[in-house]
Amino acid sequence: MHFLENLPLATKKFILDLVKGACGWLCTKLGIALPPWAMPLLLTLVSILVVIVAIIAVYMVMFALMSVAERKILARMQNRYGPNRAGWFGILQPVADGIKMLTKEDLVPRGADKIVHFLAPIAMVAPALMLPAIIPYGTGMVPVELSAGILYFFALGAGTELAVFMAGWSSNNKYSVMGAMRAIAQMISYELPLVMSAVIAALVAGTLSPTGIVEAQGGYSLGFIPNWFVFTPWGFVACLLFYIGALAESNRCPFDLPEGESELVAGHLTEYSGFKYAIFFMAEYVGMFAINGLLVTLFLGGYKAPCPFLEWIPSWCWFFAKLALLAFSMVWVRATLPRFRIDQMMQFAWKFMLPMSFAALIAAAVWYYAGRGPLAWGLSALIVGIPYLALGHFCFTRHHTADNRRYLYSE
Amino acid sequence: MHDLFQRLISLPWDQAPQWFFLFPALLMLLAAAAAVMLRNLIHCALCLTLSFIALGVLFIALGAEFVGFVQLLVYVGAVTMLILFAILLTPASEVAASNNPFRSFQLSKALNAVAGGAVAMLVLAGLLAAIFFSPHAQAAVNPAKAATAPAAAIGENLLNHTLLPLQGTAILLTAALIGAALLAKEDKRS
Amino acid sequence: MNLPGSGILKGMAVTAVNFIGSFLDRAHAKRLITEQYPEERPTLVETSRSFPFLVFDGDPEKGIRCTACKICEKECPPQCIFIVKDKDANGKPILRPQIFDIDISVCMGCQICVEVCPFESIRMDNIYEVSAYDRFETLVLHKEQLLKSNVYYRQIHPTEAAQTDARIEAARVKKAAAAKAAAEKAAAAKAAAAAKAAETQPEPTA
Repeated sequence: MHFLENLPLATKKFILDLVKGACGWLCTKLGIALPPWAMPLLLTLVSILVVIVAIIAVYMVMFALMSVAERKILARMQNRYGPNRAGWFGILQPVADGIKMLTKEDLVPRGADKIVHFLAPIAMVAPALMLPAIIPYGTGMVPVELSAGILYFFALGAGTELAVFMAGWSSNNKYSVMGAMRAIAQMISYELPLVMSAVIAALVAGTLSPTGIVEAQGGYSLGFIPNWFVFTPWGFVACLLFYIGALAESNRCPFDLPEGESELVAGHLTEYSGFKYAIFFMAEYVGMFAINGLLVTLFLGGYKAPCPFLEWIPSWCWFFAKLALLAFSMVWVRATLPRFRIDQMMQFAWKFMLPMSFAALIAAAVWYYAGRGPLAWGLSALIVGIPYLALGHFCFTRHHTADNRRYLYSE
Repeated sequence: MHDLFQRLISLPWDQAPQWFFLFPALLMLLAAAAAVMLRNLIHCALCLTLSFIALGVLFIALGAEFVGFVQLLVYVGAVTMLILFAILLTPASEVAASNNPFRSFQLSKALNAVAGGAVAMLVLAGLLAAIFFSPHAQAAVNPAKAATAPAAAIGENLLNHTLLPLQGTAILLTAALIGAALLAKEDKRS
Repeated sequence: MNLPGSGILKGMAVTAVNFIGSFLDRAHAKRLITEQYPEERPTLVETSRSFPFLVFDGDPEKGIRCTACKICEKECPPQCIFIVKDKDANGKPILRPQIFDIDISVCMGCQICVEVCPFESIRMDNIYEVSAYDRFETLVLHKEQLLKSNVYYRQIHPTEAAQTDARIEAARVKKAAAAKAAAEKAAAAKAAAAAKAAETQPEPTA
């Protein structure tokens, strides 16, 4: 099992050794004397390249699997079969989709701002592909070790809004602009609780580095309950808030109203077709995986095993298992919940998510300073529980009945 | 051919990384110039964003990760969106030359250019003076100090030495927020 | 008082039951009722209909019921029927179609031709796999393709076919009875005439 744990790092080392050997052999064969700094520089570049290729490959495979798995799961939840024609049980559906996307005509509207229209997919996919760089996939398996990794993630996430705006505005289409405005309004509103709940985890762990946060969740209390943040009252609330924020940031149901096809055709994607559309689609899924990966890192113990006797399974397997679980839950939510209306979406962000994230922040601080014992548990549970019940009762429960409803414009 | 390759590879490539900052720096300047010169307002805003991004990258390239990320988060994520929304929500016709309140001050083109140049020079001189004579700036040019946990150092500074200004800014921003909400509410009622 | 958010959990439970149930329910009786079309074929209801065809009894040449009366051609709303009357060797029209074409790419399946046919000869088929690459060659059905036996008609629409058969039989019986009555009447008339003649005409004397 030690071998499996080390497999990714050993593969990287093997490739580096291969390059080193090949390069040395080539230089002696050609009679070129390398300066002393050349080999380390080359090896650094190659190792960066290897990591980039690995990340992109893994995320592309996950994207392909997700695109078919999502449709299959969604179908099962709606008592349908889902795609089952291409290949064995529809497993080749992503290939068919890819061929379809690539062979479609790339349309650009006549009134579009051609440069911005062209740049928007690039601006969308570039930050999305950079997001996975700071997520720790296993013990010692973080592509870029940053001391401010969480901040990096949200700084790049800001680029997505810009890309959405570019796509919507440059299309010169009212649905595109309205979809983009909605998307931006939604992203800005939900970024606040999202960042707040990430701050809570960073606060308790005392670091902004993802690896540090994962390490802070190591160990077990009572011998079998892992010390993940999700198993504390404040952590549970923050995790849910982060999850909802992640749904909103990745424009997934029930927050898919920027693309609400019943009112806005496809939002900012209306005027995109073929490969550019595929790029938007891909960026959305990669972004979703990345933000789920961050959720796993922040609250679900990252690459840590859930019980002591399961620690023989490699750490990166645990990470991807948790990621798959979260991806499944997102499909589950999509199958269950209807789309928000725009005012409901805004109210939910500002009247529920934001106060709850502040409550969770206070609860986390109390838990931290009250000694993390049963007393701390009770206090922090009260601090998040009371606002939850109060908000739920006074803001989000419908107290009026159909009788005293008034219709302003129909009387 | 062989000699050329040998000479090419013997160049001091290991010195190259310290010149990488030139790319974001040049990009930033070009984008800023484009932001001033382009005619389409949205293009200007997008170029400004590009220059913000380049500035953030520049910070990161110079080792100030935290500041770089905050630059991206705040300027690209928030300020740009504010600018873009402001442009989109302002009807283009209102910005016509006839409504320009500064119209009476407009002189000949040459005079305008001179005046603009003078203002730019003054701003530049002020910035340079601030950089070269400020004691904080002098102290900050200390790579050894900057390298150790910059985020923690910034946090300590914010919550210890500059707590009062921070609270003042917070109150100011809250007041601005409440004022904006009130203005919006007034507009709705009428 | 309901706990806020409990409605979401209820909804999630419904979809979860659907999800798990779709794997447990092997018979697919309640869930996953989608028909896997090319492998599984639908059992069409008896009243399903697609395009018209021509019924014949016994032999496709002699048993053809159509008399080329052209009522269906006139009544057809999208005018997809084209009929030419047959002629015998002398150029005299006979009650049989020489050409009977139906353009099923135009036909809208309204069944009006069936309603108006006085000879029970045009009926609705229930074929549905008629897609083709050529609109003009393959989707204009000629007389040979349109002619289908009454046996086939009984297979696809048993009830309707039985009614039609009963009607035809009744008509045949009635016609036979009428013919018989007419024959009897004629015979009687003949006999009466003969009797009268015998009565009125004096016996020829030699």
